[in-house]
Amino acid sequence: MIALQQLTKRFGAQIAVNALSFEIPAGQIVGFLGPNGAGKSTTLKMLTGMLEPTEGKASICGFDLREQPLEVKHHVGFVPESGAVFESLTGLEYLEMIAALYGIPKDAARIRIQQFIAFFDLSFETLTDKLLGAYSKGMRRKVVITAALLHNPPVVFFDEPLDGLDANAAVGFKALIQTLAREGKTIVYSSHILEVVERVCDRVIIIDKGKLVLDGKPDELVAAHNAGTLERLFTELTGGAELERRAEDFAKTFR
Amino acid sequence: MNTPAPAAPPILNPALPQRKILRRLFLTLYLRGRSSRGLRLKTAPKSVTQKLLLVLLVYGGFGMLACSFARQPVFALAVYLHGLTFIFLAMFVSGSAGEILFNKEEADILMHRPVSSRDLLWSKIRVLIEVSLWLAGALNLAGLFVGLSAPDGNLLFPFVHIASTLLEALFCTGLIVLAYQLCLRWFGREKLDGLMTTAQVLVVITAVMAGQIMPRLVLQLTNKGWLRFGPETWWLGFFPPAWFAGMDDALAGRGAAGAWLLMGIGVIATAVVLWLAFGKLAHTYEAGLQALGETVSKPRTKSQWRWTETLAQLPPLKWFSPVSRTGFLLTTAYLLRDRDVKLRVFPGIALMLIMPFIFVFDKQTSEGFGLAFSSSFLAISPLITIDLLQYSQQWQASDIFRVAPMNGPAELCHGARQAVLWLLSVPVFILVCFVLWVVQRNPSHLLLFLPAFILMPIAALVPAALNQGVPLCRPNEEARSAARNAKIFGAMLPAGIVSGIAVWAFSAGWFWWMLLGELTLAVPVYFGLRSLVSRLRWQSLE
Repeated sequence: MIALQQLTKRFGAQIAVNALSFEIPAGQIVGFLGPNGAGKSTTLKMLTGMLEPTEGKASICGFDLREQPLEVKHHVGFVPESGAVFESLTGLEYLEMIAALYGIPKDAARIRIQQFIAFFDLSFETLTDKLLGAYSKGMRRKVVITAALLHNPPVVFFDEPLDGLDANAAVGFKALIQTLAREGKTIVYSSHILEVVERVCDRVIIIDKGKLVLDGKPDELVAAHNAGTLERLFTELTGGAELERRAEDFAKTFR
Repeated sequence: MNTPAPAAPPILNPALPQRKILRRLFLTLYLRGRSSRGLRLKTAPKSVTQKLLLVLLVYGGFGMLACSFARQPVFALAVYLHGLTFIFLAMFVSGSAGEILFNKEEADILMHRPVSSRDLLWSKIRVLIEVSLWLAGALNLAGLFVGLSAPDGNLLFPFVHIASTLLEALFCTGLIVLAYQLCLRWFGREKLDGLMTTAQVLVVITAVMAGQIMPRLVLQLTNKGWLRFGPETWWLGFFPPAWFAGMDDALAGRGAAGAWLLMGIGVIATAVVLWLAFGKLAHTYEAGLQALGETVSKPRTKSQWRWTETLAQLPPLKWFSPVSRTGFLLTTAYLLRDRDVKLRVFPGIALMLIMPFIFVFDKQTSEGFGLAFSSSFLAISPLITIDLLQYSQQWQASDIFRVAPMNGPAELCHGARQAVLWLLSVPVFILVCFVLWVVQRNPSHLLLFLPAFILMPIAALVPAALNQGVPLCRPNEEARSAARNAKIFGAMLPAGIVSGIAVWAFSAGWFWWMLLGELTLAVPVYFGLRSLVSRLRWQSLE
């Protein structure tokens, strides 16, 4: 469903993503992990057609990222980390505009939006009356997730999707992506909340400094490295353990 | 877990025109503004539409000045109309192009959607041109009828002028879009932001200056017989509005050979600009949008230190309290670096900084009350600057001031006030005095500026005394130009009265006594205001 071959992105002399290669079949939930600045968001932006790769190839649903970017975009949904929306539109105006960009007729879009509103416990009045700038962070995130799934894409990329969601909405969301995967959708889930990744994902890919560090099933990787938890494994691989030790020394400066 | 790949989602209505959807989106965003924290649908668009209508009305009113060209030749009227239109459109397009064409947040919303870069660009350009044409239409409405009275004109003038204005709007929009694209290509995002901000500030200041100086200059040059121009004048070929005026003259006026030549230049230049901006460079637009997301800040080398860092180590800044010093450095940084603040502050005070120069050069006003009155603009400039500095896109960050262990905003306001006074108001004051000295060589005229100079620190304290002196603490949406005009008027009144008294005292030989009296009043008022400000406490955030 998703295939990367030596995908590379350079910003000037800086290599953000360095010859990344992996494949993700349909119906899999993949946790895409890495420390800050590892190249996760850059990779996701390349796979969603937002950034042009410097080198390498990638395809989604069989469509080449460079040759058929619009086809790729038709087949992916993306929840960006920023959660950016057009603040001076109402929630309904925004979602109907997004639906129109995918060629979904207004009536069909309205039905779909109603389904999402019901799922996320949003009120229709809020969606029609308030401009998005006045929404809380959580409500805005729900609108962004709705906008990513509205056209029923076979591949969905989530970049920190739980940011701003309350505990109930987060539980509901986790159940939703597991169900979507069972329906055959491919989910790429990038997050720093490793407990959630461990619980939800079938597979984790860890990158650091733009390079692939580890790829496999979470429980198997944890067992193979005798780490106990995914979080422990992650910190050991990406230098977090050293930071943990430094934190202890640093805390002593507050005495 | 692996299951067969689901079928690709059907494209339900591929015939639905994306350009139409995007055009509606960008027009809505333009009318409502990009950010609308706390606004409700019922109030936001309505108020914006009213505001737009008001703007069109003001433009229409401004366009009525064309009546003074009644019974003048077509070419003279057309040069005036196209010159004015060009300045106003350049101001509007350069002010809006950055926001509409290269919006950083937009990439996260639209660039992963199935939208081609060409459709995206065209939809934006169409909105820019549409709004430009509304403004140009309002500005030229009166001129269309005035043209009918031209001795060398004919009934075709309104139609020809509409066509030439349309061409001019296309040229102006295309030129600015082209400049944006080329700058982004050559200089990258960070430099583009800086360049475009400077360009916009300069365009606005030039427009204000041109609006004030040009009529006086043209009048003086024409009266002296130094300025005689027509379609045959060679140097008009370098003046874009003259190209389109040439079209008016060629098709609805005398039809001189020079007019046809100017028209030819205009048509060819517009075609080339449109081809380059929307044809040749359209495919690189997506790359430009992508570049917005790529932050490639180079680390500063030792030689690239910021002068403000050095300034903070020097007296008197060194003697400030740490909070005041922070206020000073924060205000300086935003005045120098922040695009949004620069675009609000400098055009906002441009008139006040330019008016004294105009009074200095204008023979009719360069003596007596005119000169003293011009210094009133300088006296109130810190008040308006500090008032404008309250607004910022990053206003939420100012919560840190309330979290910090400070009883009130006094010290912060003090730092901001000193930054505005010593980096902006006082240097401009000195410059005006220097120019006055060079132009008139009359020391007594310089004395007339002293009353305004005494008023300056008091004017700088007024915003803080009204609890409106904390920098960068209020959202942009709260900045209302109507309220600012009322403030300018309210501040100009006492400053003007002081100027009047100064001129009267000067002519009566009591100037130094008047100055002593002003000082005697100003000192307690200044310290009274400082005491008031120091007792201010943070207001509850609602």
